[in-house]
Amino acid sequence: MNYLRRNWIGILAILVSTIVFLVPFAFIVLTALKDKRQSSLREFSLPNGFHLWDNLVEVIQTRNYMVLTAFVNSAILTVASVTLLVIFAAMVGFVLQRKPSAWTGLVNFLVLAGLIIPPAVVPTIWVLQGLGLFKTLHGLIFIEVAYGLSFCVLLFKAFVATIPRELDEATIIDGASPLRLFFEIVLPLLRPVVITVILVQSVAIFNDFTNPLYYLPGTKNVTVQLTLYNFQSQYNTSYNLLFTNILLITIPPLIVFLFFNRQIVAGMTAGAVKG
Amino acid sequence: MTSKFKGSRLAGLAAGLLLSASFVGTAMAQDVTLSFLVDNTDASTVTVAQALADAFMAKNADIAIELETRPGGGEGDNIVKTRLATGEMADVFLYNAGSLFQAINPQQNLMPLTAEPFEANVIDTFQKTVTAGGDVFGVPFATAMGGGVMYNKKIYADLGLSVPKTWDEFMANNEKIKAAGKVAVIQSFADTWTSQLFVLGDFYNVITAEPDFADKYTNNQAKYATDAAAIKGFERQEAVFKGGYLNEDFAAAKFDDAIRMLATGEGAHYPMLSFAAGSVVSNYPENQADVGFFALPGDDAAKNGLTAWMPSSLYIPKTTEHADQAKAFLAFVASTEGCDVQTKAVGVTGPYLIKDCTLPADVPAVVADLLPYFQRDGGTAPALEFLSPIKGPALEQITVEVGSGIRSAADGAALYDEDVKKQAQQLGIAGW
Repeated sequence: MNYLRRNWIGILAILVSTIVFLVPFAFIVLTALKDKRQSSLREFSLPNGFHLWDNLVEVIQTRNYMVLTAFVNSAILTVASVTLLVIFAAMVGFVLQRKPSAWTGLVNFLVLAGLIIPPAVVPTIWVLQGLGLFKTLHGLIFIEVAYGLSFCVLLFKAFVATIPRELDEATIIDGASPLRLFFEIVLPLLRPVVITVILVQSVAIFNDFTNPLYYLPGTKNVTVQLTLYNFQSQYNTSYNLLFTNILLITIPPLIVFLFFNRQIVAGMTAGAVKG
Repeated sequence: MTSKFKGSRLAGLAAGLLLSASFVGTAMAQDVTLSFLVDNTDASTVTVAQALADAFMAKNADIAIELETRPGGGEGDNIVKTRLATGEMADVFLYNAGSLFQAINPQQNLMPLTAEPFEANVIDTFQKTVTAGGDVFGVPFATAMGGGVMYNKKIYADLGLSVPKTWDEFMANNEKIKAAGKVAVIQSFADTWTSQLFVLGDFYNVITAEPDFADKYTNNQAKYATDAAAIKGFERQEAVFKGGYLNEDFAAAKFDDAIRMLATGEGAHYPMLSFAAGSVVSNYPENQADVGFFALPGDDAAKNGLTAWMPSSLYIPKTTEHADQAKAFLAFVASTEGCDVQTKAVGVTGPYLIKDCTLPADVPAVVADLLPYFQRDGGTAPALEFLSPIKGPALEQITVEVGSGIRSAADGAALYDEDVKKQAQQLGIAGW
């Protein structure tokens, strides 16, 4: 009783988060189990039969196995973009923090401009066309890197400030080159913020809808979020297939998270103690 | 941090970069590949497009057609405009006829087809809706639709009602249906676009009363609020609400709910476009014979007729590199053979707009009710959006307000006139 009184806020928070996160997920699972007619009622009810397998087969076979292509594309897009983001943002953040120069002001301005000025679609496509990158997956990877870079640079820059400068000096006195200093000393110390960036950006890029829609047209180039439009439209929506598709594309990130959960938490606490 | 861990991280990075670099588009084996962009607005569009592409490829071994889909609605408009503006449009694409067609700047972006022999097969009424500056730009895809009232035939039979030819008969039927404890008129305002039918579907009655309404409306001379015939659409929507004929959950119901109520006999009338018959067939196949269709009735039984919606059209952008092959595909679509392929793919959904196309004898009940209007001379008139480039984008919000009793009919009509004015000014039409 005493325990309840002392911790009621925490218990309430757990209850609320259960409702907020698990109920929608339960709705997705339940709808994915239904047939087309029952799902069109959009009720929170038990399915009148087990239709998940039929729905799954239909979703995967739709438009010539489009979902599978989409998974490959999205995986490459996410992994490549996040890798580039981490490397570039860490390098820029490190140099900006450690080596003030005449350029620092301009670079800071550009980083902030990247956050403030919204990108426009048509001019961006024009640039991509000029570079021969439009309608290619690596073109979209560069787009995602460019859009995410500002935010990540700021994160890294702030974190580099907490690493003692004496470490750099000691490494350089021992004869390390600047590249070696960055990759072998600084980057490992940045682990907590690297994990933060990987998490935040992976979710954002994997879930990105509008950028692939505009910058990567073509059936061969679909990403997972775009496959939702196979089942949802202005006049006619197959809710059972739509929710099966949602279930299908929600599971991979979930599995990744479950697997790396321990590393993520370990990384964060390690960083917290070391500073 | 062990050195082993570092190594694996660098290897991962290298693999990621390699993978992304190797994923450049692969070349096709066939001589020419046409890209074909269609929307997914309703389920049959993609099926029909695929069937047409397959049939065409079977006849032309050197041309491959690759289907690409885009969303419908406002997002779809943005995609079409963006891709036209950047010169990245597919070789053949599907888009609305009428006012939306005028909004994509056809003379600048599209390839004129006026001189092509296959345009001779296209029915004149359709050609008018894809004409800009004296040139024809499109070929009809799929069939025409009607805007009117879908009704439950079982309820009509049980209560001994007959199909109304005038608005008064319609309201009398509503009263009897309500007295029998059924929902007389189904509305589904959660999908706002479904609210516009009383106004848009009433256009046949407007244009029979005032044949030059469309021109006057485009030239800023006729207004919904002040025109005696035009305001009736708003007034009738208000009358249905005031009569208490609506389903209880009209504000929260969605299109799918409305179809369920109509097909299973919970409700009698649903003002809708006739394509909704497809949803009845796919969700409630055992009830499909129970659902019929009639045009929105006007004042005079002798002048009863249907407001018709033209189908979307296929266009070729000026930027295509395969104009000849794209034209060959359009010629195939505009042939009786093309019609037969479509009928085979999704059944009959309405009349085709290609000359000499025939329909099979057994058609769904809604289509069977629809066809007589098209077969009678003067039995149909195209909806206003096909006669005038101006359609106010906020109509669906306004009709939701009028239909739920939040705003009066006169007020709603006046507000819509304001909305129309903004759109006309944006399109740069003379006289606004």
